[in-house]
Amino acid sequence: MSTDATAPAAYTREQQETEELCAGAIRALSGSASIRYRGRRLHDGHRPLPIHASHLQPDAALQDLPSLRGAADSVALRLLHTDAALHKSLCPPEPVARLVFELLEQLRVETLAPEHHAGVIANLRHRFTAWSHAFYDSGLAEGASGLLLYTVFQMCWSRLTARPVLEKTEDFIEATRWSVSSQLSGDLAGLRRHRADQAAFARHALAIAHAVDAMLKEAQTAQDGQQDAAGDAKAQAAFKLLLDFDSDNDNIPEAAPLGDSRAFSDGAGGYKAYSTSYDREEPAGELVRRALLLDYRERMDGRIASLGINTARLARRFTQLLAVPQRDGWSFGEEEGYIDGRRLAQLISSPSERRLFRKEQFLPQADCLVTFLVDCSGSMKTHAESVAVLLDILLRALDQAGITTELLGFTTGAWNGGRVKRDWMRARSPANPGRLNELVHMVFKDGQTSWRRARPDIAALLKADLYREGVDGEAVDWACTRMLARPEQRRILLVVSDGCPMDTATNLANDEFYLAQHLKQVVARREAQGAVEICGLGLGLDLGAYYSRSLATTLPASLNNELFSEIAQLLGGRKK
Amino acid sequence: MQSVRNLFHIDSDLLVPVFTERDTHVPDIDPAYRFNKDVTLAILAGFSHNRRVMVQGLHGTGKSTHIEQVAARLNWPCVRVNLDGHISRLDLVGKDAIVLREQQQVTQFQEGIVPWSLQRPVALIFDEYDAGRPDVMFVIQRILERDGKFTLLDQNRVITPHPHFRLFATSNTVGLGNLNGMYHGTQVLNHAQIDRWNIVATLNYLPQAEETEIVLARVPAMNDEAGRQLASSMVAVASLTRHGYAAGDLACLMSPRTVITWAENCQIFHDPAVAFRLSFLNKCDEAERPMVAEYYQRCFNEELPASQA
Repeated sequence: MSTDATAPAAYTREQQETEELCAGAIRALSGSASIRYRGRRLHDGHRPLPIHASHLQPDAALQDLPSLRGAADSVALRLLHTDAALHKSLCPPEPVARLVFELLEQLRVETLAPEHHAGVIANLRHRFTAWSHAFYDSGLAEGASGLLLYTVFQMCWSRLTARPVLEKTEDFIEATRWSVSSQLSGDLAGLRRHRADQAAFARHALAIAHAVDAMLKEAQTAQDGQQDAAGDAKAQAAFKLLLDFDSDNDNIPEAAPLGDSRAFSDGAGGYKAYSTSYDREEPAGELVRRALLLDYRERMDGRIASLGINTARLARRFTQLLAVPQRDGWSFGEEEGYIDGRRLAQLISSPSERRLFRKEQFLPQADCLVTFLVDCSGSMKTHAESVAVLLDILLRALDQAGITTELLGFTTGAWNGGRVKRDWMRARSPANPGRLNELVHMVFKDGQTSWRRARPDIAALLKADLYREGVDGEAVDWACTRMLARPEQRRILLVVSDGCPMDTATNLANDEFYLAQHLKQVVARREAQGAVEICGLGLGLDLGAYYSRSLATTLPASLNNELFSEIAQLLGGRKK
Repeated sequence: MQSVRNLFHIDSDLLVPVFTERDTHVPDIDPAYRFNKDVTLAILAGFSHNRRVMVQGLHGTGKSTHIEQVAARLNWPCVRVNLDGHISRLDLVGKDAIVLREQQQVTQFQEGIVPWSLQRPVALIFDEYDAGRPDVMFVIQRILERDGKFTLLDQNRVITPHPHFRLFATSNTVGLGNLNGMYHGTQVLNHAQIDRWNIVATLNYLPQAEETEIVLARVPAMNDEAGRQLASSMVAVASLTRHGYAAGDLACLMSPRTVITWAENCQIFHDPAVAFRLSFLNKCDEAERPMVAEYYQRCFNEELPASQA
C-alpha cells in the first residue's frame, strides 16, 4: 500500500467512465470483445495491445474527449486492418526507423475508416492535429532531428489523407519539406496508392523509415562534430521517450503500477512467505474494546442517517441483479393451472367461482454469497469512516435481499516486518526471502451472523490502530478459500482498496513489484478457476490492472445513491 | 416451372414449380423485398423437394417475411400460426365443439389447423416455434417426416398429407433455450424433434450495403444522395450496436426492423437524432445510453443530445 504523500492525483469515476466508453467503442468498431483498459493501457484480455504509434500514446496534454475518442478509433481500425504477425515481421530493428514505420502503419489504417463513420474520421483528424500541435508546442520539433521527423510525419499524413498540412506549422516545415521531398516523393506517392494493402504499403513505408534513419544519423554525426547541442538537450531527452517502445509506461500517473518482479519470477516456485508462524486470523470485534465499539457504532449510525440512502431500493436492486427465480411451493386460487383437488367441493357449491386451480410458484431467491475484503493498510485510515459507512449500507441492503454476506479485512501484525523480519535477520538475511511480515486476517462479519448481530463488530473498521500494511495477494487467496467452503452457488468477492500491495520489509528484501505480481497472479488464477467472481473497488485509483471488473470512485465525495447503484451493477456483473 | 433467377434475382440455375393461380391464402408480393441467397435456396428446397425447413435467426431479420415472400412469388397458399406457451394439443389437432345442425345442438369434431392444412396444398408456418411447449409440439412429430401420415385419435381417422402440403418454422433460438437472456419465454426444445427438421437455415444480419438498400427500398422518400448517406450511417450505427451486443456492452441491439422504423420516423420528425431517441435509445437501459450515444457520435459526427426526459 502506498503510504507516501506524493500520491498522484486521484483517478476519478469520470475518467473511468470515459475509458469505458472508449473501450466500448473499440469493441464495437473492431468486433474484438476482449478489449479493455487495464491500468490506463489497452489490453486484449490480459495482454497489453502492442500499439506503438507515437500519436496514440497516453499523454497528459491530450486528455480532451475528442482526442481520447480519436485514439480509441485509431486502435480499433488498427485491430481491424493490420495483420499483427506481418507487421511484427516487417518491423525494422533501428529505433528511429521503427518509430516512423509504426506511425505510418497507424496512419494507413486510419485512412481506411469507412465513409459512413463520419464521426470516426473527424475524431481521427482531431487526434492527429492535436498531437501535432502538442508536439510542436512542446519544443520537440526545435532540434534538427525533431524537425525532420515532424516534417516527415506531416508530409505522410497530408499525402495519405489528401489534406493540406497543418496551416499553423506550414511555414515552419517548409524548408525541410523542400529538402527531403525529392528523396521521398516516389514512396510518398506509393503510400497513398497502396494504403489498402499492408504488404505493398510496408515496402514504401520501410523505404521512408530507412531514409529518415539515414538522414538522422548523418545529422547526428555532423552535430557531434560541432558539439553545440546544449539547447537541444531538452528536446533530445523528450525525443528519447518517443523511441522507448517496450517500457511499461510506469510514468503514466494515476494507475496502479505494474511491473515485472525479478525476485518473483526468479524465486524458486514464485511467491513464498518467509514464515507463516506469526500469521493470525481473528474476529475483528475482539481486537477492540466493547465500549469503544459501541461508541464507534453510534458515530457511524449518525453518519448513515445523514446520508439518506434508500436501503430498501438498493435491496430490491440486489434482488433483481443477483437472485434467480426458483420453484417455491404453489400459488393457490388461480384461474388456470393444475386442478386443486381441495377446491372441487367449492365447484359444486358455487359453480360460478372459477378459481379452482393452483400454479407452481417461482420466487426470486438469491443463492449467493458476497464477501467484502477491505484493505486495512495505513493509507486507508483516511478513508476508514467512509468505507465503514459504505460497507455497512451495502451489508444491510444485501441482508435485506436475502444474500449471504461476509466482511473481511487484512492488515499486518506489525510495521516493518515485525517478528518475521527479526527471524530473517537472525538467519543472516538470506536472499529472496519472500513475504516478510506477520499477516493479520480479520473477520468483521461472517456468513452465519446477520447484519443486525454484527453491527458493533463492523464498527471495528473505525479503529485506526488496526491499519498497518497490506499483503493483498495472500488476503485474496484466503478470502477465496473461505468462500469456497460456503454452500452458496454464486460467490462474489469485492476488494476495497486504495493502492497496490505494500509491505516495506518485503519490498526491501525482494523488490518493488513482488507483492503486486503475486496479487495479479492470484486474481488471474482465481478468475480462471471461475468459482469466485472478483471485483475491485478502487478509492481514487484504477484497479483495472489487477481485477478485470473494477470500479473507481472517490470517497467520501461520491458517497451517494449513484455510487451504490454502480456498485450494484459491478457486483451483478454488468460492468466489464 | 420457372427460373429462380427471374423470380428472386438470385444467381442460381435452379428451376422451381410455381402455381398458376393465386388464391386468397397466397400472401401479397412486396416488390421491395430483397432475398438472401442461402436462405432463399433453403426455403425453395423446402417447397420444391418437400423438405421441412426451419429458419433461425435474431429478431427483426425478417424470417417469417422471407418465407412468406417466397411463397408469394410461387403463388403458394400460406398459413402462419403464431405459437405461444398456451397453444395446446386441442388447438392444433382439433376438438369437439357444439354446433347447430337442423336447429339441434350437436357436438361435432372440428379439425384443428394441422389436419386442415395437411389436406390442402398449403404451406404451414409455425412462427416462434421455440415458444411452443415442447410436450405439445410432439403433435407434429409424425408429419415432420416427409410421408408421415397423421392419425386423428378422436376420430380413428388417418390423414394422408396432400402432396403439396409444406411445413416451415421460424425461431429465435436453435432450441437450446434462452441462452443470451434476450428471448424470454422461449423453451428448450426436444432434440429428437429438432433432428427431424431437414434443413435449418440461419438468417442473421445482412452486409451493410444490402441493409442500406433495404432501408431505401422501404422508405423511398430517402432515395437521394443525402438520404443514401444518412441511411448508410444509420445502418452503421445498427451494426455497431450489434457488435456491442456481441461484446456484452449492450443488452439490446438494433434489428433491421428498428432501422426501418428509425428511417420512417426520420420522415416524421425531420431530425435523425430525435427519431433515433424515439425509435431505439429509449428502449435501452439507462446505463447503456452513454455507450449508444458514443456509437451515434462515431457514425454521425454529432453528439446525441442527452435525454430530455
